[in-house]
Amino acid sequence: MADISEEDGPATPPAALQNLPRPKVERPRRLGLSLVWLVPIVALIVAGSLFVRTVILVGPRIDIEFATADGIEPGKTDVRYKEVIVGKVQTVSLRGDRKRVIVTVRLDRSAAGLAVKDTQFWVVRPRVGAGGISGLGTLLSGAYIGTDAGESTEPRDSFVGLEGPPFVLRGEPGSVFVLRADDLGSLEVGSPVLYRRIRVGRVVGYTLDPAIDEIAVRVFVEAPYHTLVTPQTRFWNASGVDLQLSASGLTLNAQSVASVLAGGIAFEMPRGVPKAAPARPESRFVLFNDRRAALAPEDGPPIPVRMIFDQTARGLGENAPIDFLGVEIGRVRTVSLDYDAKRQRFPVRVMADIYPLRLGAVRGALFKGTDGDPAAELAVLKSMVERGLRAQLRTGNLLTGQLYVALDFTAKNTKATATITDGTIDLPTAPGTLSEVQSQVAEIVQKMSKVPFEQIGNNLASTLGQANAAIAQLTPEARKALSEASAAIAQLTPEAQKTLAEVERTLNRAQASLDSLDRNLTSPNAPLQRNVEETMEELHRAAQSLRILSDYLQLHPESLLRGKPGDAALPTGRSKP
Amino acid sequence: MSAATGGSLQPLESADGPLLGCESCGLVSRGVPPDRLPEGAVLRCSRCRHPLHHEKPFSVQRTWSCVIAAAILYVPANAMPVMSTTSAFDTNTHTLLGGIHELWIDGSWGLAVIVFVASIAVPVLKIAALGLLAWSVRRAPDWRRLERARLFRLIELVGHWSMLDVYVVVLLAACVRFGSLASAHPEPGLLAFAAVVVLTLLAAHSFDPRLIWRDRQQHG
Repeated sequence: MADISEEDGPATPPAALQNLPRPKVERPRRLGLSLVWLVPIVALIVAGSLFVRTVILVGPRIDIEFATADGIEPGKTDVRYKEVIVGKVQTVSLRGDRKRVIVTVRLDRSAAGLAVKDTQFWVVRPRVGAGGISGLGTLLSGAYIGTDAGESTEPRDSFVGLEGPPFVLRGEPGSVFVLRADDLGSLEVGSPVLYRRIRVGRVVGYTLDPAIDEIAVRVFVEAPYHTLVTPQTRFWNASGVDLQLSASGLTLNAQSVASVLAGGIAFEMPRGVPKAAPARPESRFVLFNDRRAALAPEDGPPIPVRMIFDQTARGLGENAPIDFLGVEIGRVRTVSLDYDAKRQRFPVRVMADIYPLRLGAVRGALFKGTDGDPAAELAVLKSMVERGLRAQLRTGNLLTGQLYVALDFTAKNTKATATITDGTIDLPTAPGTLSEVQSQVAEIVQKMSKVPFEQIGNNLASTLGQANAAIAQLTPEARKALSEASAAIAQLTPEAQKTLAEVERTLNRAQASLDSLDRNLTSPNAPLQRNVEETMEELHRAAQSLRILSDYLQLHPESLLRGKPGDAALPTGRSKP
Repeated sequence: MSAATGGSLQPLESADGPLLGCESCGLVSRGVPPDRLPEGAVLRCSRCRHPLHHEKPFSVQRTWSCVIAAAILYVPANAMPVMSTTSAFDTNTHTLLGGIHELWIDGSWGLAVIVFVASIAVPVLKIAALGLLAWSVRRAPDWRRLERARLFRLIELVGHWSMLDVYVVVLLAACVRFGSLASAHPEPGLLAFAAVVVLTLLAAHSFDPRLIWRDRQQHG
């Protein structure tokens, strides 16, 4: 050791170095150094996994077109599906023609399935409507983009966003039905669909088809109520308050307060219809204007009818009923004036529709096998006219003066025939009951006004005066005559009394003799009666012996000659010996 | 740390080899001749049992591995959000650069510069400097030894402050918890960032500044 220190460290005293302690030597515990390199490998794995999460696991990028980017902020606005965040808006830019905006959205990898053909996007903002308030949460959180996942598998990366939320989300249990309507009423998207005044669905949209001039209202009936809708179900517009003043009086109908305010549709099954299987989704129905029309039996095609009335039609409005023996079978369409050059009069021409199907059994009885044939239906009506069917205007409501057209078989009418021109039948008319009475009363009044009541009165007065004078003259003579008559009667009285007493005696005797006669003849002990009885008995017996004789003679005619033979011997011991 | 302040001094050597100073208790020990040292044996201070090295074992390798790991994690640390804040109105995530950008836009330039230096510049410079130091040990041992030694001291000094961002986020996440009104959450980027800081600290720790002077000693 010393030699080494001499060689290498001349500046330091070796003794001092020799006094330094020796380090302790330990067996190594360390493994190979290569473990150090695990650190960057782990770092690489960690960094790689982070990158995988952010870069590779990112879903597709899609473009959505909106009318406006109101409330959409790049980097902040979420895309949500069922309120779950599935993506984020990256950029918002204008479309090339600057008419719409394009929102670029980065979807999450897990939501990549949303980027298919029939997925719908819309911006959720707070909305206040008659049907309620929606999207209230977005007041604080800001708008977000709502999503309704499509069912298609065809991928797509550019979409056109809806302006409002769709009213039926895919997968929402229930059924959509299409109602054909002439008039939307106060219906709106979101208006309720009511069944027995319970809200079971909503209006989800309507379209006006200009080609066929018809409104198609789409309604969504939620599960489980959608099974209540069968092919026979009738829908009607329950919007608002239905106030009707008609021949049948004043009617007020309302479904619910909500439907009064927001409009609504109600449906019901007509009575007596057997329960059928639920209607399939997208089935088409007719939307009637009111419940009565909806629940009325099927009308079939109407027959146009023309009626000419010679009286005022005041109170006969459009849709006034046409009544056949109390059954409403049609409705008035138009009321207009006509000119009859021949008679120089202004009759009222009423055009109306009659639904032959409403005649029911009547129609069946008159004409068999004519379903759906307008010509045959006309023939039915014609035959009814020939049997005396006439149209008459009658007062339906005395208060309001509403008129209706009554069809009736009026016997006193003269023969008439219905003429048919271009499918329209002319029904002969009869004067209405009221107008008849009116004219009769007028006639009477007219006649009465002709009576010279004053003259009659004067004549009557003078006649009575004369009569009075005549009676006054007659009075003394009459008194005398009366007193004479009473004296004559008084003279007659005693004789008459005597005569009457005699008559009474005679009658009494007659009564007695009649009594004795009666006793002899009718009493069972009367001798006459008994004798007759005995005689009859004898006669009876004689007749009996005569019959025996004749019977015998018939059997033994020879006895007439030979006489009756002796009795035959009895077949006993006497013949043997 | 470095035994010599200039390149001209020779270290003392005993007969058994170079003397070993204990880094823990300061006791100087005699060296052990390599032929008497079993393969892979560890020398320990006879007084306090602290390991004794002429130079830290595998220093360059460890430094390299930590520097490389830090460099790898530096990318997600910047690319990914370090924090998300949720308020009643929306949810926001913040990356380091995004936060600096926001500060800059808001007019807090001074703050933006501080955050930029502490969060972006310092880690980059530390990684670069440690890489340079580790590289120069083998490839350019003679190049500006004194400057390299100063650079190393600077790195050690700065290292004490580099967890600032992590502390801020952790404090925010712990304090800002007002239910749905407002809350802050650490995000994966923060983990990466903390790993970068820790790895640079480890790299600086595993680098032995005595290596800066070694080659001269051996070859000169």
